[in-house]
Amino acid sequence: MDGESKRWTAAGRKAAAVGRIAFRHQLAYKTDFAMRGFFLLFILFVFIQLWSAAYEGDFSKSISGFTLKQIVWYLVFTEALTLAAPPLCYRIEEEVKNGDVAIRLIRPQSYAGYHFSVFASEALTRFIVHLAIGSAIAWPFVGPPAFGYGWLGLLALSAGALTVTFLLLMLVGLCAFWVEETSGLYFVLQKLQFTIGGMLLPIDLMPEWLQRVCAWLPFQAALYFPARMGVHFDAALLAKQLAIQIGWIVLLALAVSRMYRRGVSKLHVNGG
Amino acid sequence: MANARYVWTCWKVNLAAAMEYRLSFLLLAGMMFVNNAIWLFFWSLFFGRFPVVQGWELHDVMLLWAVSTGGFGWAAMLFGNFPRIAGIVATGHLDVYLSQPRPVLLSVLVSRCSVTAAGDFLFGIAVYLMVGDTSPRGMLLFALGLLISGMLFIAVMVVAGCSAFWIGNAEGMTQQLFNSFIALTTYPSDIFRGFVKLALFSLVPAGFISYLPIGLLRDFDPLFAAGAVTAACGLTLAGALLFRRGLRRYASGNTIAMRS
Repeated sequence: MDGESKRWTAAGRKAAAVGRIAFRHQLAYKTDFAMRGFFLLFILFVFIQLWSAAYEGDFSKSISGFTLKQIVWYLVFTEALTLAAPPLCYRIEEEVKNGDVAIRLIRPQSYAGYHFSVFASEALTRFIVHLAIGSAIAWPFVGPPAFGYGWLGLLALSAGALTVTFLLLMLVGLCAFWVEETSGLYFVLQKLQFTIGGMLLPIDLMPEWLQRVCAWLPFQAALYFPARMGVHFDAALLAKQLAIQIGWIVLLALAVSRMYRRGVSKLHVNGG
Repeated sequence: MANARYVWTCWKVNLAAAMEYRLSFLLLAGMMFVNNAIWLFFWSLFFGRFPVVQGWELHDVMLLWAVSTGGFGWAAMLFGNFPRIAGIVATGHLDVYLSQPRPVLLSVLVSRCSVTAAGDFLFGIAVYLMVGDTSPRGMLLFALGLLISGMLFIAVMVVAGCSAFWIGNAEGMTQQLFNSFIALTTYPSDIFRGFVKLALFSLVPAGFISYLPIGLLRDFDPLFAAGAVTAACGLTLAGALLFRRGLRRYASGNTIAMRS
């Protein structure tokens, strides 16, 4: 084994160890899980009522390719993905404010890599739990999620979707190196995901002009792609959407790397 | 009279404290304004696809947001501690207020001003001026709607917060109730049916807010209006009485703290 591959193996081991610790850490906060689960159940119940009223309870009606059943399951998938993301921006902001960032920087692991390990571990666990909770409410109301290879499509695109979400959150979180307070920016990002990301409404149901705008932004890759594929499997589209996700991941990762290098060079921390 | 002067002084001090960081105040209030505007953008997309849902149109939902955000706005600006009572009781921070020669609940409520709520209040007013009836009658009804909505927000959270006197740490539970209550007040009440709709007008009285655009502003229904006023006043009274009873059970470890 040459030096370069040894370095990568060691980095992978470190990332896996951090992920394992983050996973165990989550299990210690069962109340937190229960609270989020309750809110998910509640909000999905409200959505089911809203969309049932919009479709007038007609399960056969299809609007822009979506039946009531597909809309409800689409919302289960987008909500599960949205609530899966841990509060990364807040964590980075706190690290910068209280000086903990100094400890992170001297560790033998990249700063973004450490946060990605924690994020991936937490987000995957939460995503699975939220899918189960969401299914518990959607199933009795609209029936089982029988969408052919839809589950395969959902899972195939969810990893990329969570990575895009991580990179977007990282971009906002790293702003703390300059401005300390990032809640405003995070707030804007969150609302963009809610609307033009397709969390509340599938992009297919939006006006034509807005669909064209959404096609040029990364938000659809984080929520709309996996959720739509979950209820409308299309093998050709899956390949195209995977390629788009990879494109955004590369672009956003470059932006994160550049931003981190510039930010860390001007960071002054006392103590930590 | 002395209490009125005390409340007035607290509001002036709260405003002065918020204005200390003027830019931050403007940013936070502006952020909340933008947040609400984005929700209305979603509703405009939704009603673009489904123009009438259970008799509700975009115009009605805009009025719903005007009443809901406006009511929440004034309540949280003037009585900003109402969502935090459970936390204050559970952590023993009530000691600070007990030492003051003023009604304890009133002292707790007026000692905080939510900065973001200013954005909510302004948003509610702006939306109403855009789409509401601006005749004297319309404005009076809107003012009544704001009063009912704000009182219900305060009363429901005071009642929920009082649970901390009996069950201890109820912060998480009341926070969930708070979020759920707010969410319910921003969706048309007519999308719910059966038991849930009944619960909206009894157990969790969010229906008295979410039906205001129809029962008070669009097709004035004296029965509904009377019910909403009774619910708001009754719950406020119930909250005050419950807090008083709860105070008798209150115990703490002599917390030494400063109000901030």
